[in-house]
This record gives sequence, structure tokens and C-alpha cells, in this order.
Amino acid sequence: MKKILLILSTILACAFPAHAKLNVVATLPDFGSLAREIGGDKIDIVVLAKATEDPHFVDARPSFVVSLRNADVLIDGGAELEIGWLPPLLQNARNPKIEIGKPGRIQASQGIRLMNVPTNVTRAAGDVHALGNPHFTVDPIIGKAIAQHIAQSFAVLDPPNAAFYDGNYKKFEATINAKLQEWGAAMLPFKDQHVAAYHDSWPYFAHRFGINIDIFLEPKPGIPPSPSHLTEVIAQMKAQHVKAVIVEPYHDRRIAEKVASATGAKVVEFSQFPGGIPGTDSYVKLIDTLILRLAAALK
Amino acid sequence: MNKFILIGVATATLASARAQDAASKPAASPDVESLRQQVQALSETVKALQQQVKDQQAAIDKTNGSAPSSSPNPETSPVAASISPSPAASAAGHFATEDSSVVSSTASAPAGSPGPGVNANGAATSESFPTTDTSVVSSAPETISSTGAGASLTQPISIGGGKNYMNISFDGLFALAGSSARDLDHIEVGDHDPQQRGFNARNLELALDGAVDPYFEGFANIVFKLNNDNETEVEVEEAFLQTTSLPFNLQLKAGQFFSAFGRINPTHPHTWDFADAPLVHGLLLGPDGLRGVGAQISWIVPVPWYSQLILGVQNGRGGTGFSFRNPGDNGMFFDRRTTDRELRGLQDFVWVPRWENSVDLSPTQVVLAGVSGAFGSNETGADSRTQIYGADFLYKWKSANAEGGFPFVKWQTEFMYRRFEAGRGIDESFPVAETFHDWGLYSQVLWGFKKGWVAGIRGDYVDMEDSRFTDDLDRQSRSRISANLTWYPTEFSKIRLQYNHDFLYENFFLADRDADSIFLQFEFILGAHGAHKF
Repeated sequence: MKKILLILSTILACAFPAHAKLNVVATLPDFGSLAREIGGDKIDIVVLAKATEDPHFVDARPSFVVSLRNADVLIDGGAELEIGWLPPLLQNARNPKIEIGKPGRIQASQGIRLMNVPTNVTRAAGDVHALGNPHFTVDPIIGKAIAQHIAQSFAVLDPPNAAFYDGNYKKFEATINAKLQEWGAAMLPFKDQHVAAYHDSWPYFAHRFGINIDIFLEPKPGIPPSPSHLTEVIAQMKAQHVKAVIVEPYHDRRIAEKVASATGAKVVEFSQFPGGIPGTDSYVKLIDTLILRLAAALK
Repeated sequence: MNKFILIGVATATLASARAQDAASKPAASPDVESLRQQVQALSETVKALQQQVKDQQAAIDKTNGSAPSSSPNPETSPVAASISPSPAASAAGHFATEDSSVVSSTASAPAGSPGPGVNANGAATSESFPTTDTSVVSSAPETISSTGAGASLTQPISIGGGKNYMNISFDGLFALAGSSARDLDHIEVGDHDPQQRGFNARNLELALDGAVDPYFEGFANIVFKLNNDNETEVEVEEAFLQTTSLPFNLQLKAGQFFSAFGRINPTHPHTWDFADAPLVHGLLLGPDGLRGVGAQISWIVPVPWYSQLILGVQNGRGGTGFSFRNPGDNGMFFDRRTTDRELRGLQDFVWVPRWENSVDLSPTQVVLAGVSGAFGSNETGADSRTQIYGADFLYKWKSANAEGGFPFVKWQTEFMYRRFEAGRGIDESFPVAETFHDWGLYSQVLWGFKKGWVAGIRGDYVDMEDSRFTDDLDRQSRSRISANLTWYPTEFSKIRLQYNHDFLYENFFLADRDADSIFLQFEFILGAHGAHKF
């Protein structure tokens, strides 16, 4: 009997935890990282997608339903990057706190002007996102805006710690502002250079740092590289003296290496997500690493 | 008389003038008012700035003596930068020029408010790299989320970047079939499986879904299929609403829907990993699966892992309640003349409980296991009952570096047992009552070895208890092995080649004892981006 009571009380304890910290769920690791900057030890955070996997195709695991059910806050991109897996999770999570429109739902793309919004949406153009390119967090100025959005939402949901969140945002803002000088200076020598990438994940990064990441190994977004397209890419890269090919952890590195060896360019491993490449456990370290790697390749 | 007309005209014009006034005011005033306020705010800022500049120049003049101060004042550039992201400036892009012109008279205005496309490396000429950019961050975030006044569930759901109240998609599933059996419609047990040699179009599905209001979501799947004489049949496969915000982790579903029994039954054929239904699914739950009009409540059990209890209740009548109140073909089921009666009470519904659990074994491995039941009466006798029990298991591994969801390995198995009380038929017309104990299982492994490519194998077995009195062709034990290879050019299309070998017993159908079949299945999906359930 005592045992049963013990088991019951454990279950109840799990079911109704003492409401101390904000339970935050982030769909993607970049939002998770920004939430950590703001929330510090005042939040518990669960990140759904792995930093190394393709964010377009994440399995809608049942355990995610449990995380979403317990969430006080959900941070998602709001730009259809997670459209293939988030909707069924939300349908099953039955958590009114994180419905769109509630303070507990932070859609990172709100207030962000998305690039490459297609005027005519057709899937003949590949996996085009109707709302625009959703890989926006890698622009530090956008990163700051998302962090501010997060800080404001946290403050509304957890007023006793409002000053803490605001302070963390100010700190983060100051760090980014200082870092931007460093990053900007590092990229300045390569202004207007052309860089190739496996997938079109980098228009915001390129826009920020004044380079052109405009040659893609994929013939169309989400469509695997074909030999004929790669021939064109190689010719184009040679003509424009492209020195770097960007790949992400889930792309086929061998294809990038083939292109690189044919053109004399270097393969640069990039990630949109903190943790996607070694030594990038925070947002600032990620951008640091990206700048360092790209500058080294372009030299 | 003239006077009257004059007065009439005068009042009419007055009235219309007033009406116009009244009509124009509410439409224009909020916009105009806010613009006015913005302009006012801006002009005040400008005045303040001019004053500041004057003061500073005066100060410089004082310290420098009388040097004419046409040189740019470095002090003002941070001010310029800090103005641009203010909500007023960003709210109205065309005001930005005015803003920067004020500032640029005194400073070089580094990226004061760069228009879209202006590269941040305009900073090359300025001393500092810009830390704000109104071309990407379009509004101050304070207006976004904290009030909760943002987008609501009732706002149109966007499709293709537009605004719609629902998602619409169309799925076309076709198969080219070849078989050593002439009666493919007997070999294949599912209604959406290939039913004849040659081309088949058994699942052309129109799917609609969206938020009904803040409390419900609605779903509908209307299936068109072409029978073997190329006549179109329509099936309301699913049409139900589902609550979104019940308390205590509860969810209610009502309408026409697939029963939550096992893994395959609640899913649509185009999401299946094989071109046809497993034998046990078609023979025990029915060619159309178990579905019907009813209601279902589900509860996520508050434990640290995923655990869900589901209880459904449905009419279970007709072909979609195959093992239950099904009058059968021409009023015959398992050789009994069926009773075909109305609902007498709660016992005549089909009750479908399910309990499913899932844990993550590791960041790349997931296991899902469930048990289901389906209990109700059948039509072969006055008080004959049917019970079906099911157990299902799914294991999935997916690479931590998955691209497009590949590579992965998925193993899925379902076991079912049916206890069927076959009565004596209507008016006790059949000599005896007997109870059939039937069981079966399938097990399949899918290996996504390369982006877009999946290879699969499946084994099927169904054991039907023989009737002691008749030789019913539908009650034969069977087994099958299948192998297939699927190519998904994108998640919106697929081409699948499948081989089936059916082991059939003596006297079964008219063809050989065994049958070999090959299917070339192809599919396209138009419209809304369907999400993938686990």
C-alpha cells in the first residue's frame, strides 16, 4: 500500500511540478540558444530538432508531444521551415498556452523582413517557402531582434524576473554590437566576393557581411544535385574565381568535395545552428566560427 | 411649392454632405491621425536634433575660435544611427529619407536607414560596422507578442503565401499491376489496393483541414476511386472536428473517422510503406479498415514519457465496420444470413480503446508500442459478439545527420486476434452457432538508404479457424512476402516498385496455389504541405 502511494505521489509530482522555472520549448537549436542567453537559469529549455539534422525534415516524435504539453513557451520560426513536422505535434499537444496569438507563443520571424519572398509560388521551383527564406537567425542583427522578442515575452510570462531577462538582453545586445565590429572588419577584405553553398540557407548572413552566396549545388532548393547542374556550377565557380563551398552537417560532403577539387575551392563546414559544428555551443561562438572559417577559406 | 422644393433640396444636400462627412471620417481618421502623429513626432525630433546640432556647433565654435564648421561632426553619427530603428521611422519607409537628410547634413550617416538591398558594408566608409538594420528588422518587437493581440487561430491559414481559411490538397495514387492471378481483387485484401491487372486508380483523395474557430479544428478526406469498370465511386473517408483547447490534456473528436486501432488502421493509404494493405488488416478489420461515425476522447497521461489513452465509440455498421454490424454481401456474412438490425443499446456500438506509449531510446532511436481493442456485436446472430485485440510495435532509427529525413531504418509489427461469435443467422436459419478464433500479424522493415530512396520487406500471416460446417472462401489461412523499392523525388511525389508472393492453399480461388504480383505505384500531391505524423 505504501509503495502504491509512493508511486502515485511520484506520478503526481511529475504531473504537477512546483512552478518555479519557465518551461521553454524551441523548435530549432538557434532559437534555443537565444532563449538560453535571455533565460539563463530561470528557464528549463527543450530543443526539438538536433543541430546536425535537416530542419525541414524532423521526425514528429511522440516525446515532443510531452514537451509541448508541458510548455509555458514555444519558440518557433513562424516561416514554414517546420511545416512538415510541427503542426501534428501541436494538434496532439492540446496546450492552449502556446497557441498562436498567446503570449506563450513566440514566432521568431515576427518583425523580421524575410528575403526572397516568391512572387509566384510553384513547387516546380523546388522546396520554396511561400513566406520567404526561413534561415534568418544567422544575421546577428536579426539574432538581436529575436532575442529582444524573447526577452519581452519572458518578461510578460514571468514578471518577477522581468528585470533579469531585460538585463540579459542588454548584455547580449552589447556583446553582439561589439562583436559586429569585429566580424564586419574580418569580412571587409572579401566584400562582394562570390561564394558557393550546397543549399540556399545563407542569404541573411551574406547580406550582413557583404558577400554573395549565390551559387548553389542544389539545382533547386531541396532537389539533390544532378551531374549536369554540377557541371554548370563548376564552370560558374571557375569564371567567378569562387574560393569556398559551404556545406552543412547533413549535406553530402562528397559532392561538395568533388566540386571543390574541380575548381580549386575549399569546402567550408557551416551550420545554421549552435552545436551543429564543434566548438559552437552558443550563438556568438557560432557566428565567430562561421566568420573565422569563411575568412580563412577566402584568403 | 417652390419653397418646399428649395427647402427639400437644401436639406437633402445638407444631409448628404453630413453623410459624406460621417462616412469619410471613420475610414480615414485613424490612419490620418496616426500619420499626423508620426509626422509631428518626427518634426519634433528633427527640431530637437537641429537644436542639438546648433548647440554643439556653437560649443565647437567657442572652443575652436572662429573656424567655419562645415566639417562633419562625429558626435552626431551615433545619434543618427539610433534614430533609424525607432518605430516611427520604420513604420513608414518613405519618412526615412527625410530622417537621413536631416542627419546627413552634419554627418556621413552610415547606414542611417539603408533601404532593402543596401549592403551593410556601406560601413566601409564609416568608422563603425552598423549594429542595426531596418531593412531586415521591420518593426519594434514590443508591438508583437506581449499583448497577445497578434494573429489568432481564426485568421485565414496561409497557403502559397496567400490567405485561406483552410488547407486544400489533392492526392492521386495509381498503380500498374501485373499478376499470375486473374482475380487480383481476391488476392488483394484492401479496398484501395490494386484490384485488377493493368492500371488502377483506387485512391484519389481530396483533403481539407483548418481551424474552425478558436475551439475546433476540422478535417475532411473525400476519396474518389475508379472501380474495375472505370466507374467513379466516392467515399467520405473522414470528416471530423477535433477540439483544440480542452483542459486536463483531453481531446475530443467527433464525426466520421478511422478508429484508433493499431498503426496502419488510422492512416491513409498514400502514407503506407507498401502498395497494399497487410493481410491481417484487410481480413480482420476489413477491406476499408475500421472506421465510422462516432466520437472519441483521448487523454495524454501525465507521466514523463509519452503515454496516451484513447477511447472511441462508433456505429460500426456496414462494410467499414466489417467484423461488427456488417450485413455482408447480399445479406450473407461467413455463410450466415445476417440480421441487419438497428442499434438496441450501448452494446451494439463498437468500442475502441487504445493505450500507446513511446520513449526515446537515444537521440536517434524511438520506440512506440501500443495495445488496442475493438468490441461490439455482429450480425450473424441475435446476440453474437466480436472482440478484436491488437498489439503494435514500432522502432525507428534516424541518423543524427539526416538530410531530408534520410538515412533511416524503421521496423513495424502488428499482431491481431479476433474472437468472432458466428451465430445461427436470421431466424436461426444456420444449423449451428460456432466461435472463430482468428489471428494474424505482419512485420515490415523499411530502410531509407539514401536521400529519397527506401527499400522494404514485409512478411504477412493470417490464421483463420476453419468452420466445421462450411467451406467459406473468405476464411482461409494465408501468408505473403513482399519486397519493394520506393523513390521519392520530393516529398510530394513517389514511384514504387513492389513484388508480392502469395502462398495460397488448395482449392483457394481459381488460379494457381501461389500467386506472384508486381505493382508499379505512382503518386502525386498537390496543394498544402502535408505534415508527417510519426
